[in-house]
Amino acid sequence: MLKLSNVTKRFGALIAVNNLSFEVSQGQVFGIAGPNGAGKSTVYNLITGFYDFEGSIRFDGKEISGMKPHQIAQLGISRTFQIPQTFPSLTVEQSLEVGNRFGNRAKHDARRIERIIDFVELQSERHEFTGTLNLLGKKKLMIGAALATDPKILMLDEPMAGSNAHEIKALMELIQRMNQELGITIIIIEHFMKVLTELTETLLIIETGTEICCGDPEVVTSDPRVIECYLGGDDD
Amino acid sequence: MKLKQMAAIIVIAYGVLAVLPMFVGDIPYIMNILIMCLIWAVVASSWDVIMGFAGIFSFGQVAFFVMGAYCSAILAINFHIPPVFTIIIAGFFTAGMGVLVGLPCLKLAGPYVALVTFGVHMALQPLLKGQIGIALGSGGALGLLAIPPISIFGYTFGTDNIVPTFYLILVISMACALTIMAMVKSYWGLAFLALKDSQPFATSLGISAFKYKLMVFAVTSFLTGIIGGVYGHFYGVLSVRMLDLDLFSILMVMILAGGLGHFPGAIIGSFLVVAASELMAPLGVYRAVTMGAIVVVLVLALPDGVMGVFSKRLNNHAQKA
Ligand SMILES: Nc1ncnc2c1ncn2[C@@H]1O[C@H](COP(=O)(O)OP(=O)(O)OP(=O)(O)O)[C@@H](O)[C@H]1O
Ligand SMILES: [Mg+2]
Repeated sequence: MLKLSNVTKRFGALIAVNNLSFEVSQGQVFGIAGPNGAGKSTVYNLITGFYDFEGSIRFDGKEISGMKPHQIAQLGISRTFQIPQTFPSLTVEQSLEVGNRFGNRAKHDARRIERIIDFVELQSERHEFTGTLNLLGKKKLMIGAALATDPKILMLDEPMAGSNAHEIKALMELIQRMNQELGITIIIIEHFMKVLTELTETLLIIETGTEICCGDPEVVTSDPRVIECYLGGDDD
Repeated sequence: MKLKQMAAIIVIAYGVLAVLPMFVGDIPYIMNILIMCLIWAVVASSWDVIMGFAGIFSFGQVAFFVMGAYCSAILAINFHIPPVFTIIIAGFFTAGMGVLVGLPCLKLAGPYVALVTFGVHMALQPLLKGQIGIALGSGGALGLLAIPPISIFGYTFGTDNIVPTFYLILVISMACALTIMAMVKSYWGLAFLALKDSQPFATSLGISAFKYKLMVFAVTSFLTGIIGGVYGHFYGVLSVRMLDLDLFSILMVMILAGGLGHFPGAIIGSFLVVAASELMAPLGVYRAVTMGAIVVVLVLALPDGVMGVFSKRLNNHAQKA
């Protein structure tokens, strides 16, 4: 469904993503992990058209390199951001309307917004301006707005960061429901290995932009190279 | 603010102005001032839409106004096209210039947009004064002195019959205000706000930054060009002195008084500031200083201008209801 082949991204002399290739198939929950600065968020930024790069990214067989972020969103690739993004001038409902109105070609559908507000449980905040939401609220908002675009793939960038155990559980359930009930393919960047082993079917570990290993999460997390990269890079 | 509230404020503001000629219709001096209210209301609120609402710090607003005024006047003088048409052509011409100026601004961060657009403002005066301007028919440093008035079906709208002229300009000004209202309340407005708040988030949800940012430039400069054309045909004379900083800063004051990004605040701001400025005329040279002081107090006391006070009232009311 989504296929990266020999993707490289340089920021000046820094190689943030180095000849990376992987494939995500339909219906999967695909995990990406790696130490800080490994290039995980950059991979998202490349897939969603925020930067240009060398190599090829194909979505449903179609080359998407060179496309603009809004065009990629309209194809059905949606994402959240590591640093929570909101629209302080807009309410929760209006923010979902943005996704609904611009993210897919179909017309504005108020009932869809209704369903999504219920799905991400933002009923009581629906008329609040999004800048005033708490951290969990902002994350739900980003997910809700992304869902409003009717995505085929949803890419989450460290959705659990800053959450307590209770919230992590709620978010994990939400992710599973999006995958199973809505049939959305999920890519998730996360630092919590427990979350990844529980949620994902395939796990990719990268360090300094390079693949360390990729495969079944149980196998990957016990791989000596992964353990070493985490021990070696675990300085925060 | 709800569409209905916005519409009500616009209708009331223009309504108040519309009854005034009953009392002062025979005092040309005051009628002139009222017409200026109508004209600056459009310039200030278009500026507010791009700067306050869409968050694009364009400082080219006065330049677009002058471009529209000169375009319409030159076409009417040199090609004898009726002003009704030249004004519309001026609108499209200015919209095109807006897009041209907008293009390099797409990739720039806020302060650089201000620099580029202000550069356009700064370049316009020498351009109109110089050889190129004269070749285009700008009249050079002297300006244009015999711009024909608007005339519809043989009826001429000028300073001689100022009351009908006032109502014509009121209709045009209000039409511009309602266009702005329709735009900010439509899904375009949603896109402008989303892009202002977080461009990455907005584009990741399918909004084209390219399209909607250029749209803001196009629409605001279109309206500014139209009203610029109207201004020239009403006054009959144009000069590059409009590009001095007086007009620029008084428009800024109008926006601040109304509430930056709080349309239709800029309309009310324009009416109030034009009136205040006239009332302060006896102060002579101290007028500018007094105006400056009022601005400082205003910004500190009412950061969201008149409209901030209004919307607080409306919100409180809504919460009680
Ligand atoms: N726009 C940019 N310009 C220059 N360098 C960048 C840019 N974006 C990322 N980088 C660099 O690329 C490298 C990878 O960054 P990235 O944000 O992708 O890491 P990450 O794996 O998401 O890390 P974290 O776990 O901290 O989120 C880092 O060294 C970072 O400093
Ligand atoms: Mg990251």
